[in-house]
Amino acid sequence: MADLELDSLTKIFHDGDDEIVAVDDVSVSIDDGEFVVVVGPSGCGKSTTLRMVAGLESVTSGTIRLDGESIEDVKSQNRDIAMVFQSYALYPHMTVRGNMAFGLEESTDLPDDEIQRRVEETAELLDIPELLDRKPTELSGGQQQRVALGRAIVRDPAVFLMDEPLSNLDAKLRAQMRTELQRLQEDLGVTTVYVTHDQTEAMTMGDRIAILDGGRLQQVATPLKCYHEPANRFVAGFLGEPAMNFFDVEHRDGTLVAAAFEYPISDDVAADLGSTRELVLGIRPEAVEIGGSVTDEHHFGMTVDVVEPMGDENTVYLTFGDEATETNTLVATTGGMRQISAGQSVVAHIPEDAIHVFDRTSGRALHNRRVKSEDVAEIGPE
Amino acid sequence: MPGIVSRLRRAVGGDSDTTADTTGTDARPDGGTVTEGTRRERRGPIERVGQSLDDRFGGDFVESLPFWLPPFLLMGLFVYGAIVWNLLISLTDYQGFAQAPDYGNLDFEMYVRAATDSGVIDATINTFILIVAFTSATLVIGLALAILIDRGIRFENTFRTIYLLPMSLSFVVTAQFWLWMYNFNNGVVNIALGTFGIGPIDWIGNSSIVLWAVIFALVWQFSGYAMVVYLAGLRAIPSEHYEAAKVDGASTLRMYRRVIIPQLKGATISASVVLMVFALKAFDFLYSLVSNFRPPNGADILATKMVREAYSNQNWAFGAAIAIILFAMALSIIGPYLVYQYRRGNL
Repeated sequence: MADLELDSLTKIFHDGDDEIVAVDDVSVSIDDGEFVVVVGPSGCGKSTTLRMVAGLESVTSGTIRLDGESIEDVKSQNRDIAMVFQSYALYPHMTVRGNMAFGLEESTDLPDDEIQRRVEETAELLDIPELLDRKPTELSGGQQQRVALGRAIVRDPAVFLMDEPLSNLDAKLRAQMRTELQRLQEDLGVTTVYVTHDQTEAMTMGDRIAILDGGRLQQVATPLKCYHEPANRFVAGFLGEPAMNFFDVEHRDGTLVAAAFEYPISDDVAADLGSTRELVLGIRPEAVEIGGSVTDEHHFGMTVDVVEPMGDENTVYLTFGDEATETNTLVATTGGMRQISAGQSVVAHIPEDAIHVFDRTSGRALHNRRVKSEDVAEIGPE
Repeated sequence: MPGIVSRLRRAVGGDSDTTADTTGTDARPDGGTVTEGTRRERRGPIERVGQSLDDRFGGDFVESLPFWLPPFLLMGLFVYGAIVWNLLISLTDYQGFAQAPDYGNLDFEMYVRAATDSGVIDATINTFILIVAFTSATLVIGLALAILIDRGIRFENTFRTIYLLPMSLSFVVTAQFWLWMYNFNNGVVNIALGTFGIGPIDWIGNSSIVLWAVIFALVWQFSGYAMVVYLAGLRAIPSEHYEAAKVDGASTLRMYRRVIIPQLKGATISASVVLMVFALKAFDFLYSLVSNFRPPNGADILATKMVREAYSNQNWAFGAAIAIILFAMALSIIGPYLVYQYRRGNL
């Protein structure tokens, strides 16, 4: 149990004369017992960050502090840290018991019976006591996953590091393990850094999420804050499925002019935008309301291009004109029971309190959607 | 090919009903005309025999005969037939050029003689020492080299080639230049040791040293091979296992001892079988060392003893008995390995 602090952490790989900056000046401080999910597209440096914390990768510059003490020069085996690997990395020649006991045998001076007691206790906690005397090759993927978790839990380390631990499981098992992992982490109260590329895992599991892109930290905040108040266009587009709609717009006297439509904005929003004219308008698919009639300039007559029924909801691709092009397609979601078909003409409402506006050059969010006061309390301060 | 066979069968078996055969061929485009029910009534005798053989040994038995039968017969005759014949000779009292072996009077006299012959006992002990010491030393050195090379050192490929090169030399070459290196007066080994004030040592002449000198030369030649086998094994272990062990708190030494080396069990088994077989073949090396069947005192092994008894002393039956003892030793090494591989489904 400890708090973990990454301070201006940087990793540069050298490939011949080329320098590849994998992690660029990342600073995050993680409280004791907190579950932080590091998320980003592949190659964003999230795994490298985790491996630096584990001591498997050297630190080019910056500091990693565990309970206030910098550990970047401490050997991996001496950092009180347990890691769960994507491939589980179970030792194939040892039984499950051997796998789980290994870490305790190597890192502590505990007597054998105490080690066995802890292994059995952990196996009980993970509901795998009947697997203890089997070899990893005799286990299913889900069982191996549990053993890999058990191997980390039994150590009772200061920090858990998890490198995409659920990505080798099928969808159903993954959802189940997601919940279970959350419950476990809450019970154990161990500081956890969890790396994933899966935004669902990031949204559902973390106390906070840290979003990385190209080695740079984009935003660290609670999942809901990242979702509703993204710091920039990358975060807005990365979180949410289907992704947020983006339209390149120009600000002309209180109106956002896009290629396919014009969107008038209130003075409040205009004040947020300042003098920037090259902008991007963002709207989440679920914020688009379909139906009703054209009552103001935020309603648009549109044509349904494609409908993707998902059961609980439909993903609807709407176009401003007849032809679907890159710039005039709006994605919306509607209730699954709603009858809607391709070719139909509908009215789409883009409510002004749900729009996001980003600076087109820097990507920075200038205006985020308004969140109702009770939601704000839930999102909380960063 | 099956088409030819069926035509052949038809010709021999006198089956003239070509219409039935054509429909049969149409129904089985893969050419398998053997189990055609429509033609059951009209088959010739050869076809009937072929049919029963196919039922017994699987569908392609007769068709595949031309491919596997010749090597099968040649192997059977010259390898296994020779072993059986050798066993028979070892049970006779055959010696000298005078008469043909007398197969009418078989007994185990030669084996009793071998068990009481001090030369054979010494040779057996030496063979055993050679197998065990050579194999284990080669494995240990090979493993150490493989681990060092696997740590991502510079010029890795160059080192790998350098270590593997001695393996490509023939025993004769190795024997020749170790003979020179071990030379009492001006061999490089004694000169090198002499600079430290040790020696000179009579590597070949001293009967209590010569076997170890031979083992050392053989280890030098084959540790590269063990290294390559281990390297392949090491490359098959995912890097996460090293990392997991490190994060689990194991030091490098303990990581290798507890996580990595146990996973090289398969590589160890295959390498040791090959090395033990090479150890049994050390005959070439010893023969080249002295250019005759009489190795230096203290380095006699079963193979040299056998050849010497048979071809120098014309004790054919005695030599054959030693050969069978050697064969039994080889079998006791290979046999468990074959069983192990068979259990794992590799055979």
